[in-house]
Amino acid sequence: MQSERKKIFSCLWVVLALLLLAPWANAQNQKVQLNGKNLTLKAAFKQIEEQTKMSVDYDAEVINTSRQVTSVSKEMTVDELLKQLFRNTEYTYAFEGSHILIKLRQLPSKKKITGTITDESGLPVIGANVVVKGTANGVITDLNGNFMIEVAENAVLKVSYVGYSSKEIPIGNKTSLVIQIKEDTELLDEVVVIGYGVVKKSDLTGSVSSVKSDVVNSYPTTNVLQALSGKSAGTQIKQSTGAPGADVSVRIRGTNSIQGSNEPLYVIDGFPISSTPSNLNNSEIESIEILKDASATAIYGSRGANGVVLITTKQGKAGKTHVEFETSYSSQSLIKKLDMMDATEYAQFYNLQQKTDTGKEFFTQEQVNGFGKGFDWQDLIFRNAPLWKGSLSISGGSEKTQFALSGSLFRQDGIIEGSDYRRYSVQTNLKHEINRIFSVSFSSTLTRNETNVKNSGAGARGSSMISAAISAPPTLTPYTEDGKYRELATAYPFLATDLINPLNFINEQSRHSKSNNVLANVSFLITPISDLTVKLMGGIENHDGLGGFYKTRGYLHSSGYAELQASQSTSLLSENTATYAKRFGKNNISAVAGFTFQNFVNTNVGGSGTGFLSDVFEEYKLQTASTPGIPSSGYSKSVLMSYLARVNYSFDDKYLITASIRRDGSSRYSEKNKWGSFPSAAVAWRASNEDFLKSNKFISNLKVRASWGLTGSQAIDPYVTLSTLENKNTIFGDALYNSFAPGSRLPGDLKWETTEQINIGVDLGLWDRLNLTADYYVKNTRDLLNSVLLPTSSGYVNTIQNIGKVQNKGFELTLDARVLTGEFKWNVNANISFNRNKVKKLYGGEDIFGGKVNAVIVNDETNILREGYPIGQFWGYVEDGYDEKGQIIFKDLKEDGTINKEDKTFIGDPNPDFIYGLTSNMSFKNFELNLFFQGSQGNDLFNASAISNTMDYGYGLNMPKDVFNNHWTTENTNAKYPAISYNTKVRVSDRFIENGSYLRLKNIQLAYNVPVRKLDCNWIRHLQVYASGQNLLTFTKYSWWDPEVNTYGGANSVSQGIDYSSYPSSKSFTFGIRVGF
Amino acid sequence: MKMRIIILQTIGYLLFSSLLLTGCDALEESPKNMVVENFYKTPEEVETATNAIYHSLRAGECMAVYEATLECMSDCVYGRGSWAQIGEYSKLNDTNITRVGTIWKWFYLAIRNANLVIQRSPAGDPAIDVFVAEAHFLRAFSYFQIVRNWGGVPLRTDKNLGETDVPKSTIDDVYKLIIDDLSLAEGMLPEKQGLIGRPTKWAAKTLLADVYLHLEKYGDARAKAEEVMASRQYLLVPVKTKEDFQNNVFGPALLTTSEEIFYLKYSNVVAGQSNYLLWITNHASTGGFPFGGAYVLYMKSDTEAFRNWDEGDLRRQLWSHADFGLGDNTYVSAKFIDKGAISQNGGANDDPVYGYSDLLLIYAEALAMEKGNATVEAMEAVNQIRRRAYGYDPLVASEVDYKLADYASADKFRDLVIKERGYEFQLEGKRWLELKRTGKAQQVINAEKGYDVDEISFLWPFPVDEINYNTAIDPSRDQNPGY
Repeated sequence: MQSERKKIFSCLWVVLALLLLAPWANAQNQKVQLNGKNLTLKAAFKQIEEQTKMSVDYDAEVINTSRQVTSVSKEMTVDELLKQLFRNTEYTYAFEGSHILIKLRQLPSKKKITGTITDESGLPVIGANVVVKGTANGVITDLNGNFMIEVAENAVLKVSYVGYSSKEIPIGNKTSLVIQIKEDTELLDEVVVIGYGVVKKSDLTGSVSSVKSDVVNSYPTTNVLQALSGKSAGTQIKQSTGAPGADVSVRIRGTNSIQGSNEPLYVIDGFPISSTPSNLNNSEIESIEILKDASATAIYGSRGANGVVLITTKQGKAGKTHVEFETSYSSQSLIKKLDMMDATEYAQFYNLQQKTDTGKEFFTQEQVNGFGKGFDWQDLIFRNAPLWKGSLSISGGSEKTQFALSGSLFRQDGIIEGSDYRRYSVQTNLKHEINRIFSVSFSSTLTRNETNVKNSGAGARGSSMISAAISAPPTLTPYTEDGKYRELATAYPFLATDLINPLNFINEQSRHSKSNNVLANVSFLITPISDLTVKLMGGIENHDGLGGFYKTRGYLHSSGYAELQASQSTSLLSENTATYAKRFGKNNISAVAGFTFQNFVNTNVGGSGTGFLSDVFEEYKLQTASTPGIPSSGYSKSVLMSYLARVNYSFDDKYLITASIRRDGSSRYSEKNKWGSFPSAAVAWRASNEDFLKSNKFISNLKVRASWGLTGSQAIDPYVTLSTLENKNTIFGDALYNSFAPGSRLPGDLKWETTEQINIGVDLGLWDRLNLTADYYVKNTRDLLNSVLLPTSSGYVNTIQNIGKVQNKGFELTLDARVLTGEFKWNVNANISFNRNKVKKLYGGEDIFGGKVNAVIVNDETNILREGYPIGQFWGYVEDGYDEKGQIIFKDLKEDGTINKEDKTFIGDPNPDFIYGLTSNMSFKNFELNLFFQGSQGNDLFNASAISNTMDYGYGLNMPKDVFNNHWTTENTNAKYPAISYNTKVRVSDRFIENGSYLRLKNIQLAYNVPVRKLDCNWIRHLQVYASGQNLLTFTKYSWWDPEVNTYGGANSVSQGIDYSSYPSSKSFTFGIRVGF
Repeated sequence: MKMRIIILQTIGYLLFSSLLLTGCDALEESPKNMVVENFYKTPEEVETATNAIYHSLRAGECMAVYEATLECMSDCVYGRGSWAQIGEYSKLNDTNITRVGTIWKWFYLAIRNANLVIQRSPAGDPAIDVFVAEAHFLRAFSYFQIVRNWGGVPLRTDKNLGETDVPKSTIDDVYKLIIDDLSLAEGMLPEKQGLIGRPTKWAAKTLLADVYLHLEKYGDARAKAEEVMASRQYLLVPVKTKEDFQNNVFGPALLTTSEEIFYLKYSNVVAGQSNYLLWITNHASTGGFPFGGAYVLYMKSDTEAFRNWDEGDLRRQLWSHADFGLGDNTYVSAKFIDKGAISQNGGANDDPVYGYSDLLLIYAEALAMEKGNATVEAMEAVNQIRRRAYGYDPLVASEVDYKLADYASADKFRDLVIKERGYEFQLEGKRWLELKRTGKAQQVINAEKGYDVDEISFLWPFPVDEINYNTAIDPSRDQNPGY
């Protein structure tokens, strides 16, 4: 049944498409008959227009339409009729879609004209169009801006060039000309990229933020997405850690999904990629559009629920070849060091602890006196590190062919020894018009990524690098007298066994990954008749990755351990769309329809081994391992098939309507639930175009928008609905044997998660100086895929069901002001967004827990999802001061006399009240000063690092000075920290919740535009030098490294707002140059 | 003009053919993997499906943690850190409720995998039947652990595999299934297995003897044990030093030994297949495990059990002095050591689930209890173990032999057997279950550790997940006492 229906649907679509094309397909074969005698040419044209619904176009100055035509009275095709009408005249005709063009026949030339086209500065314009007006006779200027053309007497030349005002020059008696054309300064109506098309900003009905190249490229960021932070209302960018190349999580209008990813769909030059756009360098990007409401995203159907980010790379323009070069160098350093105990304090502190717990001090007074400041372990692993980026791009082309080529690189060393990130990319965009009907375009990005990762994140009692760097005793040095690594765990009897000398991580362990990435697509555009464009696109996305890990023989207790993994993920896309746009009087209609097919194939292979003869091999001689690991490999494939259509209609530029639908079929869902439909509709009213406002000087623009729509989320991996078997191993004798059994998740029937969103927005422009955009939205996600727990006696742990509901609603405001114009220019852009999130329904009302923290003394969950509360609330015990021994008293909320899980409650909220960004651009003469502030207000952080490093006494871990100065004693019973004893009971409590709000000066830049013209360097178009600083100023109450942290971030939704020994963020100073030739 | 028509037709054709290309089957999923419905058909498939049962049992959080947890509840061993609370004989705290809940999960996962083999394997092929018998054996083994620690539980069998909600059965029902499974396995399993580690007929009889002993069916227990002894398959490995114990009885390099009846096998040959118990029990001072260890279990030298333990007993020398802040009287076990371990996750030492010494002691106890007094045969069985422990030939009478006259009554003799079991099966998780079975737990533990053993300690709680999501379980009626 299902397949039958699909077939019918498919066929219908094709028939519809053909019907749509039919009327014009046979235009010239339509029958006409001229009525009346002694008709003028004009009257004949009128009759043709009436009978065929085609329009006859001609230049009244050239064509004499008042002359009579020979009488033709029998019925014939238009083609035949016109042939007769113009027999033996100087006129000819042509069909152009629904138009008939009447032109002068080319007459023998009378004289040769030569000339040069220049721009305002006198530089030659290459590739400008020079046409004899009213004819098809034209040429293009050469490399020196010269042209030669043969013209008739009294001809008029028309010169045109993209981006310049066209100009008409009567030839008169001249035979040689120098024509200067001027850049078109009139601001074109800004065009915004939307799904499967573009639209004038004024015609937009949905909620879309647009970020342009200068903003994306304003300061160095590892990941292009970081450049969006604070730049677009409703978009929250959170970096997981400060490590080079670390993940960035993006939330557009909140978190919808529990099971699935909450990351938006990324579309690069029309290709919906299966990953994140980490392969692009910022300098390659022309614009980024963030589609937020359902009207904008529903055209992406089952992948639109988390918003869609459209990235457009730089395209070539006809005209002069432009060369742009830019480079910058940054020096990065740790934003702040933690203020830890010095050696003397450390010794006193642990004497106190040892005295309390064992009855005798460990360090003698003499030792304590001799320690002094001791060794600073933070200095050992943190460093100042350079970041260098550079790019060279060349673009240009003729009317027929345009190109843009660029090569760029990004090299960042991390502020932790041994960590770095490198990206090299080459990008090509080509467009060629084969003829009036066919054109072709090609775009590709090739990227090489390389990164060395230093272990960070989690790790209690100094078992990870970051944790070790602050836990190591300042009384000890990293090396022993004989030059070996000091083994910290055994240096003092009370030191934690987990504590590892950080030199092990820095020097004896390496983790790196390399990947080659391709994103390429070719489109074939066919314009069979004007107004209709058919686009056939094919594309490939491919990532080949290699990940290696090696732990040397020099690492503590190691005989050498190596891992090597290779993976390949490939996505093939075929996209076929037809676009039709037409204006009928005041009616403006545009429509797009199409179908797409995309598949996703992932394969991987990996090996490992323990025990190597030498460290020379690293991970490249697995076969010599004394104990080989079990090799592994895997494969998965999924397919997405879609039909899509959208219609935009506007009347009189005042009333705008958009409706769209996408029907998606995914292989990932159960047999009966593979297909889903995602419709949307939007209306907008441009009140400022109404007569009563048109003359209003105060309101320059006013548009009110409303939209509704459904979008989906894939949320599950391939094969989740199948009862596949997992393979494991067992041992008989001493040998390895395979096993096959179902996994711990019981497969179930699953369908799409659906998000319904309404959006109401207003765009207001005042005095042409102030633009304000405000949006209010409500998003309800239903059929939320939930992990449903099963009784474990069933042999399964959980299953997935479409159960939950989540709501996000919010308000966004963007303000764009040209505060000062004239010589001193000052523009300000500000945005603020408020999102409120609530879990509406969970399976059986059962809570879902997340954010499991394993810190030896605390092993517990920190986050909860509960019906009626926002996603990811912090969940823990509440402290109630200290008892008479300085031990923490936890509130017995259940009042049953014991403290257990029942006493946990809401202790914090990782969701901010609002996030905001403020950009100020000032320029005076050749100087520019840019400031960019970004912040988050009202969110809490769970400082899991503080569990080990402020509360886990008795294991010799170094602690902040604050613990030394402000712990419980009989004299100080109201202290911040409890009594120093290893018997201190620690739980996930409100103690670890900190205010994560911050305001940060993300970037400050002072630039000087060198006046190249005045310096007589005409070969340089522009030259800018600048100095800037990133993260120089942060206002926050957060006690640890940095509030911009989310250790378990990424696509995850539950475990939010946790800082657990994360790689800290850095600040940097940057010097750069941008030059154009 | 014709050109345009051709173009349009071409476009139409292209659109149409790409629709066909991406036809309806494109959305079918065909993983390069097995699915349940198509598996369990050939002997090879059933064999790998049976192997999956071992994977569950061998998981670190299953047998290794299970045995360590039970050890914390014994009279002579203490738990450290979060394990200490287990040995306080009160209501388990959250951490330990979770810990025993995880053990439950793994045993039931093994049971599910056994049920799948039993339910789905085609009948009548002898090459398949032997694996089905193995599945019955392993299911019985898993339920035997469960019933002794949780009592009556939901009885998941091949008959109710698809049901999520299964009510609690009685202890008798669980034992009935265990005995049925083992009786079947006993008949169908071969006397010798091709692979070391698969259960034989003798393994089934040994397990059955243990089950009968727990049910106080002494005659049946004795009879099964006798059958195994009569097979003359097994002998105690002679030792001279504690190193012989470490290397030749429990050593990581051993493929098998003459006393192995049913062991869970571990290896260093490939990574990820080692016995987690080594990490749990070792301390850097034992020098037997290159990664140090978590020294979760320790003994105190000033306790009754340790002081009365003859220093000539090589098994006592397996305890090694270690000071990690809990006092100078602390000892950790070096019974399971692997100096060549390749990862922190454990060593290559097998888990000696049932060895010949166990069978001999089952036999001795069952015989004495059946007869109502100790016998020469029963005493000889105990003495074989004692001789070996002191470095003597197990089969030749020695000066350390117990005298029958000193332990003539059944009660006295059983006390001797239980004491000997305590020495013999250190770290193997048997002691607590012996004390519970013989009704001595309260008295012995009070005498040794000073705790009053509350009724609550005799059964672990049903996991929270079971109470919450199995609607056939009544939280107030079916949960074990105290929770």
